[in-house]
Amino acid sequence: MTNMPTSRQQSLRTVLFWAVPVLLLFLPLATNAYTQFIVNGMLISVLVTLGFSLVIGNLGQLAFANTAFFGIGAYVSAILSAKLGIPWILTVPVAGAFGALGGFLASVAALRGIRSYYLAIITLAFGELMRWAYLHAKPLTGGTDGMAMPRETMFGISLSDDTLKFYIFLAVTVLLVKGTLNLLRSRFGRAVMAVRENEIATASLAIPTARVILATFAWSGLVVGCAGALFARHVGHVFPESFGMLQLIASFAMVLVGGLGSVLGAVLGAVLLTALPEYLRAFPGMEELFFGLIVAAVLVAMPKGLASLLRRASPIFIERHYREGA
Amino acid sequence: MTLLLETTGLSVRFSGLTALDGVSFRLEEGQIRAVIGPNGAGKSTLFNAISGYVAPTSGSVLLKGEELTKLTPHEIAEKGIRRTFQNGGLFPELTVLENVLTGLHAQTEGSFLDILLGRAKTLESEAAMIAKARDLLKLMSMDHMADTRAGDLSGGQQRIVEIVRTVASDPPVLLLDEPAVGLSPVARAQMMDIIKRLAGEKGVGILLIEHAVELVMAAADRILVMAAGARIAEGTPAEIREDRAVLEAYLGHA
Repeated sequence: MTNMPTSRQQSLRTVLFWAVPVLLLFLPLATNAYTQFIVNGMLISVLVTLGFSLVIGNLGQLAFANTAFFGIGAYVSAILSAKLGIPWILTVPVAGAFGALGGFLASVAALRGIRSYYLAIITLAFGELMRWAYLHAKPLTGGTDGMAMPRETMFGISLSDDTLKFYIFLAVTVLLVKGTLNLLRSRFGRAVMAVRENEIATASLAIPTARVILATFAWSGLVVGCAGALFARHVGHVFPESFGMLQLIASFAMVLVGGLGSVLGAVLGAVLLTALPEYLRAFPGMEELFFGLIVAAVLVAMPKGLASLLRRASPIFIERHYREGA
Repeated sequence: MTLLLETTGLSVRFSGLTALDGVSFRLEEGQIRAVIGPNGAGKSTLFNAISGYVAPTSGSVLLKGEELTKLTPHEIAEKGIRRTFQNGGLFPELTVLENVLTGLHAQTEGSFLDILLGRAKTLESEAAMIAKARDLLKLMSMDHMADTRAGDLSGGQQRIVEIVRTVASDPPVLLLDEPAVGLSPVARAQMMDIIKRLAGEKGVGILLIEHAVELVMAAADRILVMAAGARIAEGTPAEIREDRAVLEAYLGHA
């Protein structure tokens, strides 16, 4: 197994990658309304975690603006749907574009040489500033009451149908995960990690570091912004409170439990930590305590996250940052 | 001999301190020029000024007659001046192959959008660069280490991979900042051999900071001696050995 030639490993990886969404196509046959709703939420968490992990894991920047991107995406989608009557599905790419714009704004701080704790505080402030804007731009956002997504149908099916939403969410998630993988397994992905490892040496290799930082933030914002649009449709209502510290801490935990800077880890962390609270409902009053204990236990046992466990089990799960052949 | 790199009156001043004081020299194709001098002589500042990490206060840097003085580090690297770092510039969490590929960044084709969509153009270019990187590693007998994490290599192997990464794009000029520091005598000899081959076989112009005087005397075509930011002598190893100013200021026994 360990000595498998890279080309065979690579084709096996490709098969594995596509097998997951293909198998998931049959999932609605096995779920009820409740579990389907949870699974839909998982897909959104995968995107939020992926975008977050890209910036803190791969680029190595302590930036916490992902709640801002998430909220921006959700509000853009809600405003376009509710105020302008634009079909929701068309709001998803627009939400992504606004998320990317948010990413661009967040990268300006990093490009000005603001790093580590200072970048953390500035990006946290960005998230809080956006929340303040949702609260105070009442005519546009509905203030504390938030805003409801309008009733809408697609292919003659109501968009409140969780099975329909599942297929749309799955398609968006697969596209964005695949795009992110393409980026990471290229000169761009290598440059992103080179910046994390040694920014000065990176520039000496004719790599435009500022452009790399900007593009990483923008792509992260795009992924999380799209997730925001899915979230607006998922819960049918957007409130300022959905985009606060709790959301940030939850996605931070997902990144760490899965494994910093790992695409596989982002998926695992998001799925596990979205499912976990549902199981913990069996212990009323103790849910948060158990949740915290489990997260802490995983991090103590596996500081590099769940993805490291799989990497040790088989080299197929080692994420390379180059690709030989298609 | 073709002139590759030329500095004229290159000076760097930091709030009152003159780190580099009007240094001029020329580097030709296939030439190894050593820069020696005691600590604080301005050797690293000279490298930083040439490669764009420090803005010169006055003077200029020319590559094949083209003015580079106002460019940023990545632009200068793209023009063809590549450098290594005294304390090692490898990316420890990336593999050896990935490290070498970062040296080929500018040669790899495909825009952000091409990469995102996985277009054929990008994939072909990527495959060609991987083949090139593997060939280069093979030349240094490092190909079996391609998938090893760079941080797990020995000090000597790390230095070699850093050189491979730096020369992967076939730059005409190479600035090596103490490439043999901390190496065993065997690894040092191997490193000097690599450096001589780069100059002799590929015609790379090499500017070399090195403290081990015997290595410098054996490898360099010409030597630039610096003290307190200024050039105090220049010449062939034999000339430098006899130079009174050098003996007084640098070697300390007149």
